[in-house]
Amino acid sequence: MVDVAVIGAGQTKYGNHPSGLKGMWAEAAERAFASVDQNFEPRCVDEAFIGSVAFGGGQLGNTAALLTEHSGLEGIPVRRVENACASSGFALRDAWMAIKSGQADVVVAGGIEKMNDLSPERRRFWLGVSGDTEWERLAGLTFPGTYALMARRHFHEYDSTHDDLVNISVKNHLHGFENEMAHIRKEVSFEKAQSGFMVADPLTLYDCCPTSDGASAVILAADHVVRQFTDDPVWLRSSGAGSDFLALHDRPSITQVRATQQASNAAYKAAGITAADVDLAEVHDCFTIAELMATEDLGFADRGEGGVFAREQRGVRNQGDVCINPSGGLKSKGHPLGATGTGQAVEVFKQLRGSVEDARQIRDAEIGITHNVGGSGATCAVHVFGRDRG
Amino acid sequence: MNEVVDWQGYLAMFDSEALMIQSPFTHDGTIVFGADSDYTTMAIAGLHLLSSRGTEIATMRSLPLVNPSAVKSATGTTVVCDDENTEACEWNLLVGEEATLVFTNNLERNLGFHGPAELESLDPTFYADIQTAWEQELKPAHVSQGAYVSEAAYMEGAAARLAFMAQSTNANLIWPPRQLDADGQRLESPSQPLMASAIVESWTKLSAAGAPSEFALRAPVLGGIQTVFVRFEQGPCGVFLVADDEQYEPAIGDEVTFVVRRIYAQEGLIRYGMKAVPKLN
Repeated sequence: MVDVAVIGAGQTKYGNHPSGLKGMWAEAAERAFASVDQNFEPRCVDEAFIGSVAFGGGQLGNTAALLTEHSGLEGIPVRRVENACASSGFALRDAWMAIKSGQADVVVAGGIEKMNDLSPERRRFWLGVSGDTEWERLAGLTFPGTYALMARRHFHEYDSTHDDLVNISVKNHLHGFENEMAHIRKEVSFEKAQSGFMVADPLTLYDCCPTSDGASAVILAADHVVRQFTDDPVWLRSSGAGSDFLALHDRPSITQVRATQQASNAAYKAAGITAADVDLAEVHDCFTIAELMATEDLGFADRGEGGVFAREQRGVRNQGDVCINPSGGLKSKGHPLGATGTGQAVEVFKQLRGSVEDARQIRDAEIGITHNVGGSGATCAVHVFGRDRG
Repeated sequence: MNEVVDWQGYLAMFDSEALMIQSPFTHDGTIVFGADSDYTTMAIAGLHLLSSRGTEIATMRSLPLVNPSAVKSATGTTVVCDDENTEACEWNLLVGEEATLVFTNNLERNLGFHGPAELESLDPTFYADIQTAWEQELKPAHVSQGAYVSEAAYMEGAAARLAFMAQSTNANLIWPPRQLDADGQRLESPSQPLMASAIVESWTKLSAAGAPSEFALRAPVLGGIQTVFVRFEQGPCGVFLVADDEQYEPAIGDEVTFVVRRIYAQEGLIRYGMKAVPKLN
């Protein structure tokens, strides 16, 4: 079967972006195109998949056609992919499958979200309708609330505390501080993160990611055309995906995310690796408890040991077992919902090619993964990238 | 005659022919509803009390101050308004000017109930703010920025939402209800009620600033909103807002029971649902 490589990747800076949808997408696409080493032009692309929850900007339908029109890609098959915060993780999966199937040779996967041109109320509306509206929303729950329920239960069942979440927040701000593309570039002390404003007890402001504008794009190519474009590809070795009940109360457990377990097991198996082989992981830390649970679900820590993993700094850059969120994660780099999944892929691509800022570079990185979650765990996509083809 | 019972956040007095139920709150010398109560929620509580004492009411005549579909979903009782054919109604629901209801099957008798002299006086600012918030939220022109749950979607789940009706399959109960099973077969309609108490497995309190948009008008007045994740003895789990929680902070392991209260209003219609309250021993 065809192998798939990443030949280019780019993104906008996350945060309050001055441009609208068209300008943001054009910026990300331009950077992705420019990152391809040779012989690339937009007409090389056979198909595109663009993730977006589709709030902001006003173009809710046919967003993908609008965006390809403004990036020299008009005329190719294109569609918007929506899976809440995992939209572009699944766009990446769709792009990977398009090449694996032999249907296309060069495919763009991307994502975009314009979140800061809406009132806070409308932002909360869009965030809220990505969760279970009929039961959770009528019980007063948005995502801070659902993740707060997970956190308190995890504290109850295992040896974890809020201070473990504080360690995650401090780490991700440390990692994001040097990232020029990050939304919040500031180091945060343990004491400050510990005493944040309470949002949803026990989660404070420092446990929650910001709402960001942003766009990201990666360019994939089939093995038989890769050398036209680069001698230094990053191989997208596998794609795994899973799903679970939309609402928390329907799941067998609220201290683990079954969709992550399914997605990572499938991705590791297809890539022929285990969690111990992973050097860096872009993990979906929309809330700090999400990262703590993901370290368990992805196999970096044993069940119930996510708190200990964070406490012992085992996810810190060039210090622990595996670098968790070298970009700063959603907490520091930001979370433009539809752009997050492929934004994670941009970071892994650059890390594996050794092209991030010197201070952020993971030493001797060979294998990286992305972990992109929709909602409170209803959907998840995990991708394994490698310097080697595998 | 005048034994006063604390029941689902209200005060009730009854005899063999009648039940009087009233709000425990006053404002400016008048009995008033609390933050999330109205005639509909109080009528449901009254019917639950009558049912618990062996009186099931199939059809009841009432002034149009209660929501018939909410009462029907929560209790099975059909509410018939005065201008309709009420000949089949054995029971009557009498609505007072104040937050008081009387259920009676004998309109000829003198209803000699005397409520308790001491009621809880609501803080005037709190009362005014919560009334203003509801009035604004109930205006048809008010567009909720919250999750849109259409009337069709709301009514589809009404029996599960207001009466805890669950689906029974292979000795397991499924709640909230689902459509098809893993064999592709349609599950039966909900017909088994869950037990009316559950154990708290987790909880949170959303700050007023972080509360969902549906609650944006009232959450600041209430000082935030509390939600519990509970497990019923029969297995299913659920999430519920907490009611009457001015003095209550949940804890994992607490036993809670449930009352029907207002959730929020959308497009001029009030959405009702179960809320959790601590179970009194």
